[in-house]
Amino acid sequence: MLKIEDLQVKYGNITALRGISLEVAEGEIVAVIGPNGAGKSTLLLSIAGVVKPKSGRIVLQGKAITGMQPEVLVSSGVSLVPEGRHIFGSLSVAENLALGATPRRDRHAVAGDIEHVLTMFPVLKDRYHQRANKLSGGEQQMLAIGRAMLARPKLLLLDEPSLGLAPLVVNQVYQAVLELRKSGVTVLIVEQNVNRALAAADRTYVLNTGAIAMSGKSSELGGSAAFDAAYFGVASGAGKP
Amino acid sequence: MIFLQNAIDAISLGAIYALAALGIGLIFSIMRLINFAHGELIMVGGFSLFTLSGQPLLVMMLGAIMVVTLLALGMERVAFRPLRKASPSTLLISSFAVSYFVQHIVLLVFGSRAIGVSFLSELGTAIEFGGLRIPLLQIVTIIVTLLLMGGLVAFFKFSRIGLQMRAAAEDFTMARLVGVRANRVIAFAFAISGVLATMVSIYLVAQTGSVSYKMGVSIVLIAFVASVIGGMGSVAGAALGGFLVGVVSVSLQAYLPVELRPYRDAFVFLIFILFLLWRPDGLLASKANRERV
Repeated sequence: MLKIEDLQVKYGNITALRGISLEVAEGEIVAVIGPNGAGKSTLLLSIAGVVKPKSGRIVLQGKAITGMQPEVLVSSGVSLVPEGRHIFGSLSVAENLALGATPRRDRHAVAGDIEHVLTMFPVLKDRYHQRANKLSGGEQQMLAIGRAMLARPKLLLLDEPSLGLAPLVVNQVYQAVLELRKSGVTVLIVEQNVNRALAAADRTYVLNTGAIAMSGKSSELGGSAAFDAAYFGVASGAGKP
Repeated sequence: MIFLQNAIDAISLGAIYALAALGIGLIFSIMRLINFAHGELIMVGGFSLFTLSGQPLLVMMLGAIMVVTLLALGMERVAFRPLRKASPSTLLISSFAVSYFVQHIVLLVFGSRAIGVSFLSELGTAIEFGGLRIPLLQIVTIIVTLLLMGGLVAFFKFSRIGLQMRAAAEDFTMARLVGVRANRVIAFAFAISGVLATMVSIYLVAQTGSVSYKMGVSIVLIAFVASVIGGMGSVAGAALGGFLVGVVSVSLQAYLPVELRPYRDAFVFLIFILFLLWRPDGLLASKANRERV
């Protein structure tokens, strides 16, 4: 589904990603974990077209998409739920969801998909005509995911979906992710919440200071000394930050 | 009675300022560009009316709308689109460049002296109404402005592209991430600002009966002040700010002691400086704007 080769991203003089490569197969849930500033968000922003990579290739279903505009990428099936959710706070829940379907022309199917999102997240139904900035953090996260679903993505990119949410709400969010995978969506999640990520993902990459430090099946990664070293950085030993 | 007369003056002047401020506020809300060349859109609208004078009224007005809208779209394409990733100050300077460029082209072609245009002079007659004398132009201005604003509100609320523009004004990157096409919403914003500018041209030419290459300069300044008063980034704020500046100008003109009236504008700006010290974000501050700064 997604193949990234030797991706390098710089912000001015600062290198955010130092030539990373990764792959996500169709129908997979893959997590990228790592400490703050490891380059996780930059990775997702590059795939979604917000950040232009300096070098390297991003290939979606055999087609190079490196450096394409975000609005074009949504139409090709890549949807990003960014860190901090970025719902349109001054617009209603209904309008936020309608905007999610911007690239689509099949209006009747959109109405059905909105129904589906509302059955998945019933809180949104209760608040359908309210301004989105009146929602709680968890509700906003659900709205952001629902909005992304309405584009009918093939590849869903989730940036820190558990950030700042109560554990019960996080359960609900991850439940939705599993359901999405069942309906055939491929998911790439970036997380700081290591346990959540390892529990949900088939495979996990550990990203540290802009490079892949380790990767493998989620079930085999956690807990080992090698994993701690990769996550917290080899040079500083296994000490926690 | 005098109070009522002043109130109608204030509302009609406020309506014009509001239309001009809306044009500036709309572009700013989406692009974070303060388009000082908006005054030149108004000016070119005036010269289009002059060039088309003698034609049927409808032809003059539609012709002016077309020319100004095309100019607005052209500006965006040539001067602003290549700079979209640049800082707001770079965009601002680019808009000054466009402004001077257009002014001097017009200066070259039409000369520096104001040119008389007879256009809608029948609107200069006043209607007697219960002891009031109201120029027809003022009534028409107020009605047309209200209709236009109602139309704009409906457009933003109910049309697909209007919704996309509101989303883009709040969070441009996120709007693109859901599939809103950046070029399309920006072009739409410029086209609308062109139509709004032409409405101001029509009013100015009907009121003064003349056009000059500098006719857009002072109104764009007032429109800019109005949009700051209203709250940069808020389209409703721009309209409100425009009305407010109109009301304050007319009130000062009416109630300042006679010997101070020549300095009216100084008092207008003094009031707005004090206002901004009190509310630096304007009347309807846009949250999206504050977060981004």
